[in-house]
Amino acid sequence: MPAQIDIKEVHWLLDIVQCIDVGVIVLDRQYQIEVWNSFMENHSGMGPDEVYGKSLFGLFAEIDEAWFRRKVDTVVQLGTRAFSLWEQHPYLVHFKNYQPITGQADFMYQNVTLLPLTAANGAVEHICVVIYDATEAAVHKRQLAK
Amino acid sequence: MMARKQLIRALPAEWPVTISQANHGEEAMQMLRQGLAEVMLLDLTMPVMDGFEVLAALRDEGLSCKVIVVSGDVQEEAIRRVSELGALAFIKKPADPQKLHETLSRLGLLAPPTPASPSSTPAVVAVPARPAFELKINFRDALREISNVAMGRAAALLAKVLGVFVELPVPAVNIFEVSELHMTLADAQRGERFSALCQGFIGDGIAGEALLLFHDSEIADISRLFKWHPKDETETSEMLLDLASILIGACLSGISEQIDVRFSQGHPQLLGLHGSIDSLIHVNQQRWRKTLAVEISYSLEGHNVHFDLLLLFTEDSIQRLSHKINYLLN
Repeated sequence: MPAQIDIKEVHWLLDIVQCIDVGVIVLDRQYQIEVWNSFMENHSGMGPDEVYGKSLFGLFAEIDEAWFRRKVDTVVQLGTRAFSLWEQHPYLVHFKNYQPITGQADFMYQNVTLLPLTAANGAVEHICVVIYDATEAAVHKRQLAK
Repeated sequence: MMARKQLIRALPAEWPVTISQANHGEEAMQMLRQGLAEVMLLDLTMPVMDGFEVLAALRDEGLSCKVIVVSGDVQEEAIRRVSELGALAFIKKPADPQKLHETLSRLGLLAPPTPASPSSTPAVVAVPARPAFELKINFRDALREISNVAMGRAAALLAKVLGVFVELPVPAVNIFEVSELHMTLADAQRGERFSALCQGFIGDGIAGEALLLFHDSEIADISRLFKWHPKDETETSEMLLDLASILIGACLSGISEQIDVRFSQGHPQLLGLHGSIDSLIHVNQQRWRKTLAVEISYSLEGHNVHFDLLLLFTEDSIQRLSHKINYLLN
């Protein structure tokens, strides 16, 4: 990334984060939400205003808190990425199938990546959660298994 | 009816006119033959007799009437044709009050009536009929109108890309049970092999899938239009996916703009090539009971090509959609 970014580019980058078809969440160390992109907004039915500053666990009771905290701790302490695959953990947050009419699955299967976001002092103050829709892969795999 | 209501609301308040309304072209012609109008605001997409046919009939019957076309069909070719057929101006739907005012003013139609004519200028507003259905009439009519404008934009893009004229019938809006959707798709298939693509969308409590059907017999014509020669299935699939992106994308953004909702869209998926209804579209499932279906059938003039685009909204989207539309109407 260039050292000098002009305001127009920042605008584009923000647009990109909003528009890409993956979920982007940024959490602070207290698991409170600081970034919530359009994918998250549209699939959860909750806009940024409704989620900013709130705890992720408070909003999504389906998340296995102990499991998620363990994963995030690794990221914070080691500064490495962590992953969750639909095969082991079908979804992080319960969203409806992106293909509600012709789709074969009851919900959206998700792969998740957890990224450390470092502050200026090098410490990991925030985590970025990226959620990918893995429903197609899950459905195909199930069909092959039959 | 929604189109007429919107249009009438957009007319300049100080314009001294008496307004007659026609449900379709045939009714408009009857009124014009009786000399009931000096000015006509004419939609293009109407059942029974469309706008183009009305203009042609006016010319053939030697009836004089100042016509301003107000339509969602915004293809360049459509605009060209109506001019050639004698329309004085073309205004895109939904009609902007300022634009209407400017146009009427420019054409000298806002001027006070001459001594010879009655105290107010007769004007006819001819826009589509409102049939009777199970859904509340307002909602269904409004959704049909919104879809009409949205598909007009999609058609214009298609027209530009392919250099063709797209025929736009009035969209059909229905609530289907699973079995009824299956029957509609079977009808669209006409017993032939076809290919299907879908793209999910969700936003602001409204979710659904766009389904696009192509008949296999027409794929060769489509390739010719695109000036592509797909060598194999992969290239054919890519061509159909590109086409689906254009049509579905334009339609969804047309709707999105009108009801002020931003949609997330999934990747377009190829449901299958060269199959039958049962093999390609699995709608017999316990996951949903009803869907709100908007069916849009594009035809390309002079080519044996038809696309069936179905926007299938989930049952729980209906309330939200209704709310958004009411907001738009008031």
